[in-house]
Amino acid sequence: MRSPHDDQPHRAHRSLELAPTLYATSERDDARALVVIFLRGGADGLALIPPIDDDAYHTARPTIGIASRDAIRLDDRFGLHPRLAPLQPLFAAGQLGVVHAVGSDDSTRSHFEAQDHMEQGGTTAGGWLGRFLRARDASAPGALSAVAIGTELPQSLRGAPSAAVVRNLDDFSIGVERPQMRQAIAALYANEQGTLGSLLADASRDTVRALERSAAMQRESARPANGAEYPADEFGRGLADIARLIKGRVGLSVATIDLGGWDSHFTQGSVIEPLMDRLARGLAAFHTDLGASRMAQTTVVVMTEFGRRVAENASRGTDHGRGSVMLTLGAGAAGGRVRADWRGLASGLLEGPGDVPVTTDFRDVLAPILHLHGAPALSSVFPGRVSAATHG
Amino acid sequence: MTSRRTFLRAGGVLAAAAATQGCADVFAWQRGTSHDSATPFGSPVGREIDRISHSISRLSYGARPGDWDRVRALGATEDQAIARYIDEQLQFDKRDESANRAVRRLEAIAEPLGELYEYSPAVLHEQLCVSSLLRAVHGERQLHEIMVAFWADHFNIDSSKGDCRWLTPAFNRAVLHPHALGRFPELLRAVVLSPGMLWYLDGRVNRRGSASERPNENYARELLELHTLGVRGGYTQYDVMETARALTGWTVRSKHASFMGIGRVAFDAALHDDGAKRVLGRDIPPGGGASDVDALLRIVTGQWRCATFIATKLCRRFIDESPSPQSIDAVSRTFAATGGDINASLRTLFDTAEFRTVRASRLKRPFHFIVSALRAVDAQTDDAQPITRWLERMGHVPFQFPTPDGYPDNAASWTGTLQWRWQFATALAENGVQGTRVARDDLRRRAGGDDGLLAHLFGRTATMHERAAADASGDMLALALASPAFQRY
Repeated sequence: MRSPHDDQPHRAHRSLELAPTLYATSERDDARALVVIFLRGGADGLALIPPIDDDAYHTARPTIGIASRDAIRLDDRFGLHPRLAPLQPLFAAGQLGVVHAVGSDDSTRSHFEAQDHMEQGGTTAGGWLGRFLRARDASAPGALSAVAIGTELPQSLRGAPSAAVVRNLDDFSIGVERPQMRQAIAALYANEQGTLGSLLADASRDTVRALERSAAMQRESARPANGAEYPADEFGRGLADIARLIKGRVGLSVATIDLGGWDSHFTQGSVIEPLMDRLARGLAAFHTDLGASRMAQTTVVVMTEFGRRVAENASRGTDHGRGSVMLTLGAGAAGGRVRADWRGLASGLLEGPGDVPVTTDFRDVLAPILHLHGAPALSSVFPGRVSAATHG
Repeated sequence: MTSRRTFLRAGGVLAAAAATQGCADVFAWQRGTSHDSATPFGSPVGREIDRISHSISRLSYGARPGDWDRVRALGATEDQAIARYIDEQLQFDKRDESANRAVRRLEAIAEPLGELYEYSPAVLHEQLCVSSLLRAVHGERQLHEIMVAFWADHFNIDSSKGDCRWLTPAFNRAVLHPHALGRFPELLRAVVLSPGMLWYLDGRVNRRGSASERPNENYARELLELHTLGVRGGYTQYDVMETARALTGWTVRSKHASFMGIGRVAFDAALHDDGAKRVLGRDIPPGGGASDVDALLRIVTGQWRCATFIATKLCRRFIDESPSPQSIDAVSRTFAATGGDINASLRTLFDTAEFRTVRASRLKRPFHFIVSALRAVDAQTDDAQPITRWLERMGHVPFQFPTPDGYPDNAASWTGTLQWRWQFATALAENGVQGTRVARDDLRRRAGGDDGLLAHLFGRTATMHERAAADASGDMLALALASPAFQRY
């Protein structure tokens, strides 16, 4: 057992933290949040961001190709699908970035293999977000540092120090509801002494504050700010919940949400156009809701396990392919441009059965974003990929 | 590929449903026979945690109702009772029928090695988690269960990597369980040559079939750094490379290569570097073949640094996050003198002055907290799967730590879980944990009232402050389980 004298420095430190100005700095919430939207099923990058000036594209997709006149031009190579129109102002304002011909080195073209591979972030064990959170928070991560909207923990969050799966924020009781229980617990922890006791007392105080903030958030109207209008579906509600967590300053570092159904083997347009509409309106509402200052500390990443075959099939759909797109929004977006090592779609330039070759590894897109969000050593998140990471 | 995975996943759902149904059966026995809900039980009295409670809190996952009485009755004096309790836990020579009964319906993870591959990884992982929980809650060989978890961290593998998805149950039952209280060199050899570890740290592709092939150093480095000597444990990059050479040629039969003997480990002499090696200043002569691994492990486990590395981790687990040099030295000496006898090392540890005097200095990790809460209130669990969801929130699901160093064993890494601990405490006390029931009125009556119940949960009489908080909280049991005292061991 330690002598009580050992505790003096801790005590002094704690009483200092109660001064109002220092109080704020002891908060775990550094306000930076990373939101990952996974488009499950293999979203067609060539429909989302069509290479509108490439003749080979129009030849390969005579019925489902996006005509140059229908698309919203982004640069001298690429356009935006008309159903993604709500994203155009964000691109023009430099808030939205596009990466094309991006993907992983998994070439099985199996949804499960490719999703697992991408969410694990390579062949390393655990999920890339889990490793990121472990590497970033060497000690005492917040209880609500990672939230997965949905019903199960995604592979990407495996191994996170703390990860809450939340279907709906309103159904989710953050913390112990009864105030007298909260106060009684807090009183006991505040009374703790000794090395471990000080640690528990500090953690309890941080936790109680996060609980109070989230309780206040729950009481506030769930109405989004700045007149933002989310699509009235589960995805839209999920994004709105993530925005509430960010605005509520509960210490959120990572949130994940899925938008599934992109496996468009058959009559592609009818399958993915409604999804594009939900995605674009959701992202635009999220951006409006958070406002410029919060967006400056928030990055949204949209990714999918693989793209589709360049040539359409006989049922006006597309089959499993390789390279697709990633979208980035907000702080780490590198926005306003389409980044692509693009070699064109002439048949000799395609991979395997006729797929967009992966010329950018998804980890190289994520690396600078993780760096911005406080990953101390990218080697611990993506072993073996650090050399390729640029910090910009 | 897709169709096979899809099929197995679908099969997995059915198997999981069957397992869940099975669990209802498993626990039927408890209601009638075990700790019947009427027997009164005693609790310690005093301002400090007494020695009996301290010993129970360190050698087990926490006291169940009646444990304090049982241990106290093992001897005429307190000293004698504790000595016999330590003997019982170190030399448990019966079959642990309670543990076996609790997990008997978890059939997938009991399948022979090759047949594990017939199951979906999700089912195997879920059953492994449930099994770890149930054995920890219901097993009588508590110290053994604690040591299994200790080695699961020390020799961490993540069940999401490669074939570990199927091999982890075998690693748990064939490597960790049999050797948990045995001899460290035998445990280490079983780890090194296990299909799970050969997959997890790439040992299976560590080969030198031709002069141009360079050995894969991944496992060699972790063998020295994490498994035996510790970082800065006196080895050099040269030692890592020579260790990798000595370990070349061990392969695992993969599911792509063959239908027969999947997962079996074999030595392929053609892939082994049979030249002379020199590790930590000791020679391994050329031509050793498959016996190189034994020569290597003799050199490594014979190092004093190996004794101090393991002893330090044991002292940290059982004594204090910063154990005294005297305790570490005593345990290291026993470890070295007995050739790495884990049992003897623990006996020395439990006999140190520091172990006997320290009290509640350590923070329970989430798994420990949850198991101790279930034990403390004699919870009846029909379905343990909802409990694994709580472990997920707290980031402490068995066999799910991504990197080879295992879940951290320091308090600071886990203080972010307080909120979930409070919620679990409240949910458990209010019978809000799905699949689990607490007979709280019986519990209070058996403890002889509130004071007895608090003393049972804390290992000592509650302070005035704790009593006041309990009264103010509106739910004494929830508050006690959420309290700082119950987070410690």
